[in-house]
Amino acid sequence: MANFRAHVLLCTGTGCTSSGSYAARDALLQELKKAGLESEIRIVETGCMGRCDLGPVALVHPDGTFYRGVVAADVPKLVSEHFVKGRPYEKLLPRDPVTNSVAATQQDFAFFNLQSRVVRANCGIINPENIEEYIARDGYAALGKVLNEWTPARVIEEIKASGLRGRGGAGFPTGVKWELMAKVPTKPKYVICNADEGDPGAFMNRSVIEADPHSVVEGMIIGAYAMGANRGFIYIRAEYPLAIKRLQIAIDQGYKLGVLGKNIFEKGFDFDIELRIGAGAFVCGEETALMHSIEGKRGQPMPRPPFPAQSGLWGKPTNINNVETWSTVPIIIRRGGPWYATLGTEKTKGTKVFALAGKIQNTGLAEVPFGTPLRDIIFEIGGGPPNGKQFKAVQTGGPSGGVVPASLLDTPLEYEALQKLGSIMGSGGLVVMDEDSCMVDVARFFLEFCCDESCGKCPPCRVGTKQMLNLLEKICRGEAVLEDLDRLEAMCHVVRDASLCGLGQTAPNPVLTTLKHFRQEYEEHIREHRCAAGVCTALQLSPCENTCPLHMNIPVFLQLLKEDRLDDAFEQVVMDNPLPASTGRVCQHSCENRCRRAGADAAVNMRETHRYIADMAYNSDLAKKVLKRILKRKQPATGRKIAVVGAGPAGLSAAFYLALLGHRVTVYDSAPNAGGMLRYALPEYRLPKHVVDKEVAFIRATGVQFKFNATLGKTLKFKDLERQHDAVLLAMGTWQETLLGIPGEEARGLYPSLEFLNAAAYGQKPPLGRKVVIIGGGNSAIDAARTSLRMGAEVTIVYRRSREDMPAIPEETRQGLEEGARLITMAAPLRVILDKNRRITGLEVAKTVLGKFDARGRRSPVVTKETYIIPCDTIIKAIGEKADSVVTQALGLETTSRNMLKVNPWTHQTSHPKVFAAGDYVTGAANVSIAMGWGKKAAKSIDRTLTGEDRFEKLWPQFVYSQTIPPAGQGGGRNPERLLPVAERRGTWVDVSPTFTEWQAKAECFRCLRCDIKAPEATTH
Amino acid sequence: MNLEQLKKLKEKAQKQIALREGGKKYRVVVGMGTSGVAAGAREVMTTMLDEIEKQSLGSVEVCVTGEIGMVDAEPMVRVEETGGEKTVYGKVDIEGARKIVTEHLQKGKKVQKLAVGQAKEKE
Repeated sequence: MANFRAHVLLCTGTGCTSSGSYAARDALLQELKKAGLESEIRIVETGCMGRCDLGPVALVHPDGTFYRGVVAADVPKLVSEHFVKGRPYEKLLPRDPVTNSVAATQQDFAFFNLQSRVVRANCGIINPENIEEYIARDGYAALGKVLNEWTPARVIEEIKASGLRGRGGAGFPTGVKWELMAKVPTKPKYVICNADEGDPGAFMNRSVIEADPHSVVEGMIIGAYAMGANRGFIYIRAEYPLAIKRLQIAIDQGYKLGVLGKNIFEKGFDFDIELRIGAGAFVCGEETALMHSIEGKRGQPMPRPPFPAQSGLWGKPTNINNVETWSTVPIIIRRGGPWYATLGTEKTKGTKVFALAGKIQNTGLAEVPFGTPLRDIIFEIGGGPPNGKQFKAVQTGGPSGGVVPASLLDTPLEYEALQKLGSIMGSGGLVVMDEDSCMVDVARFFLEFCCDESCGKCPPCRVGTKQMLNLLEKICRGEAVLEDLDRLEAMCHVVRDASLCGLGQTAPNPVLTTLKHFRQEYEEHIREHRCAAGVCTALQLSPCENTCPLHMNIPVFLQLLKEDRLDDAFEQVVMDNPLPASTGRVCQHSCENRCRRAGADAAVNMRETHRYIADMAYNSDLAKKVLKRILKRKQPATGRKIAVVGAGPAGLSAAFYLALLGHRVTVYDSAPNAGGMLRYALPEYRLPKHVVDKEVAFIRATGVQFKFNATLGKTLKFKDLERQHDAVLLAMGTWQETLLGIPGEEARGLYPSLEFLNAAAYGQKPPLGRKVVIIGGGNSAIDAARTSLRMGAEVTIVYRRSREDMPAIPEETRQGLEEGARLITMAAPLRVILDKNRRITGLEVAKTVLGKFDARGRRSPVVTKETYIIPCDTIIKAIGEKADSVVTQALGLETTSRNMLKVNPWTHQTSHPKVFAAGDYVTGAANVSIAMGWGKKAAKSIDRTLTGEDRFEKLWPQFVYSQTIPPAGQGGGRNPERLLPVAERRGTWVDVSPTFTEWQAKAECFRCLRCDIKAPEATTH
Repeated sequence: MNLEQLKKLKEKAQKQIALREGGKKYRVVVGMGTSGVAAGAREVMTTMLDEIEKQSLGSVEVCVTGEIGMVDAEPMVRVEETGGEKTVYGKVDIEGARKIVTEHLQKGKKVQKLAVGQAKEKE
């Protein structure tokens, strides 16, 4: 035998072979030969290593280098780099999304490093088609031990001591099951391995069989010996050809070696195994249906009892266990039941292989001890959802399981804990869903699977699942009524309680759990015909419209501008969004998050385009012309009086629509002018006051009255408002800064960011020192930083997490840093350092490290002992605002635990039927567009309440425009926001970002892919 | 097959996959950069592999690397003891290669004559 210096373990599981590992193998052989290394390097074909998404994967020993995407074309370079020159070939090294670094070896990869491999100990290490390699890793030693030294009863004792529970899903104690069967005197007896793995997204059984088939065979022989069976069957689906092939090779090798057949280990025990190939029916995973199928009958379930241990295959005692259960048996015998029982939890011992799938960075198989929290496997091992999306829920146990929402991420992976939540362990599938997953659609998807797979024997399952599916589809189309939810729930219970077998009994789980945890999402589909996740296509115009808090009809204004109809475009824009020039400058542009153009190159720059439209209109007589057209649609006076408290984005939006609907609207504000945060918090260089002036004038022209310097609770009495008006809308902003809770916070020279920005907006100059420290990472922190810079200070921004976690618009942060601000991340404020005159001299901070993942998928900062002082004389805290408790209490309305106003999410009504609320006092400090979206919805609801009609749509123009889908790739690359050069931005208060040129705005219109076109007929609004 | 035969089969098979199990005592790193290969590093490595096999040294793994850094001292071989010293040998010929295996890897004695200065760092 040649002495090889390295082994290349090349995965030849189903996943990797389909991405080309056999071609890679041939290329490797050829290249190694060319380099004269064929006697030094050995190629070993192994089974699945668990990362099929990175395939073909290879692991090089002895150095442990793990390569991904080893396709034939990259092999020559790999051989010359790694094997000839002796250095890792960087191009094929994986990037660990958890640590965000290149993983040189398998141990550097959190995905592998954090697993505990018991069942999968051999997977990816041995050649599954070579029995000697299995034997080298203690294979068949357990069988030898049992046949030579142990009685059958002793084997059962050991399995009982291990606490092993059936891995098929129900978790019945294996030792007890074996004991029941052993006691039955009838002969012959049978053992069966259930390899009819059929859950979408689960492939742990296939992987174990493909990578370590002998472990399953050995486990079955031991079990047969313990229970007194002499014949076994492995029931495996035909969709698993490679697993079937490897099992057959393993069985043949077993016979040849003498571990199968007559007189095994010369100890007089006989055992035969045969394969039975199933046709891929999900129901055949149910044991009674499975046995029918083995007998050659139609795979349909039977009522139990009798249980298989009494009357199973051909009426004889039969024991059925899952692949993973069988393959765990040899390890338990070798290392002892008590050892195995040290793994896992009190009630559930050992480890379990989970299949991570869906919206997760590291998809694949991960083996962890039972009791591991969902959070650890999803974030630490799985890396969380890709592209920084927010985790929403995880479906455990395949289509028979249920969803577990983000709030329950600390749930341990354990049979009982999951059952308590209405879900199941099942085979161990984990399908991860992020913010872009619609929970109604998820339920529909899984139910559709069960409905398809129902064998049809019992009506509750056959008819019930179909009826439930019809209802879910109706909800997804936006055609359902609220009563349908009750109907759906009732039907769930009938199907669950009356179905004959596990398929029907568990099919309602996804529906019941989503209804329980995401009922609001169902109601949103029904009441508002919206699918916030943007999945149900019938409920949205386009992804951008769906994501926009104001639901602006973006494709239409882009098309109108494309057709050179600037006036129509402005009319559409201003009707959808009454503050288009302001939002055009400061919006967080969530519309870009799901823009389909991003899949081709980059999202359409929708914000800058509607800003262009608005600026063009306001800077000419176009706005006046359009205003006249809008006023023509103004509804006749209703005689109803409405008070709006707060002239910020939410209040202004609501007032605009309510005035056009014919109501008498008065807006009250404590400030001397309208605009709220737009005017009194956002700095001039971002949003010039003259822009706000023009937009307010436009809204005023619709008939809105303003009363300024009227502060709620002081010059303005809530009681009076309520008595004098038919409806009141509370739309105040939150101006009160949250407390830092550190010593020295009350010092002179420490300002809340809004107080500082407010003063700056009034043209005052707060007594700012030379060195300013800003605490926070949001937009107001950046605003405060750039404002301080313009006042001539040196600015340092301190943030406790990493830069990627900063909630501020990334462009704003970048611009602030360009202008000279310094950014210190991973630092948490500890105390304000004061001199003897109680003047600020510095801020002491502690270095932080990133700890556990929170529900939003961000790692929480953990304070370390390492501290340092940042010298400064002024501190501005920008860590978020909250509602003023004096105001909320004075109103005497119901509040939430966070001291926010409690409203009906659908009507925006507070606990007082005449009083509605929108904006910051409902949502907590949010951005401009979100506040406006609430204002718009509240206006619609107030009008409906006052008039009993839905008149909102009457305000919109009906445009006819092209319904032709544009050719792909039009318009060129994305036009970024225009920006003055840094030198011109520094120290100046002028708008740092000029309006798009006509050319740029038009180019963006051409870039739009027109996702709104669904049928070739004209639709508007 | 009986238990005895299984044991024998296992011993034989274990050698085949020993390379994949971690926890070796020594790692031998042969410099196989251009100058190393030109000076005969390949012959040195194959000699060492043969010798390790002949003497049935189970706890040794052999890797290659690029230039170690002293071109005039090629072929160079570095012997790393897990958790211990690293010894660098220079101008290793076939004879020297055998000697490193017999003395250093087998008996744990350094071949002072070939050593070119020792890095005291721990792994």
